[in-house]
Amino acid sequence: MEYLYYICHVENLKLKVARVEKSLSQQELADLCEVTRQTIGLIEKGKYNPTLNLCVKIAKVLDLTLNDLFWDENKK
Amino acid sequence: MDERSKQVAYKIMAIMYLLTILSMQAIVLYRQFALGQELRDFEDLAIIMTVNSLFLISALLYFGAISIRKLSIKSILLIYLLLVVLGSAFTYVKYNLVRSPGLSFMELFDKLIIVFAILGIMMFFFIMFSYLGKRRLDKEIED
Repeated sequence: MEYLYYICHVENLKLKVARVEKSLSQQELADLCEVTRQTIGLIEKGKYNPTLNLCVKIAKVLDLTLNDLFWDENKK
Repeated sequence: MDERSKQVAYKIMAIMYLLTILSMQAIVLYRQFALGQELRDFEDLAIIMTVNSLFLISALLYFGAISIRKLSIKSILLIYLLLVVLGSAFTYVKYNLVRSPGLSFMELFDKLIIVFAILGIMMFFFIMFSYLGKRRLDKEIED
């Protein structure tokens, strides 16, 4: 439950870091995932919960796993 | 349109739809009780609202938006009875408490027969669409 609260309300820094490491702007990542820049921005801000399909798309584009992007080992 | 834009658009459309239906309901009640109009004066609105509600609930049941539970015959009859009591109370208030002079027992009974029949048809629709929706979902899961 605590974890769910975390992914819903806290900034997704992992996604932001992964995107920057790939040298992608929000707009470029959005184009590759076929969504708008605002959607990527809101996911990074923790203000929008993407569907599993979009999570998988983002993970594939960034060459990472869902765990790498959306899982926090420190939280139960 | 991406998934977030769609979600936002659907949410706004649902809220606007709800507001429209509530406004129409308010207009119908105002015309009936404040202006004392007869059903024939706002028949068009009443038909739109009845058909709309009927199809809305049926579609929600069919597409699985309302969880389909196995209801026993007893529960279905109890729900029907509850609706009949509410419908009859509304009809009684409408024709015998708000208006003066009220209807005679036989005239009121004629109105109540219509209430019983409409509620019966509604229940039949809902049960049928629940059953069809459940069958559709089961088939989708099997495929």
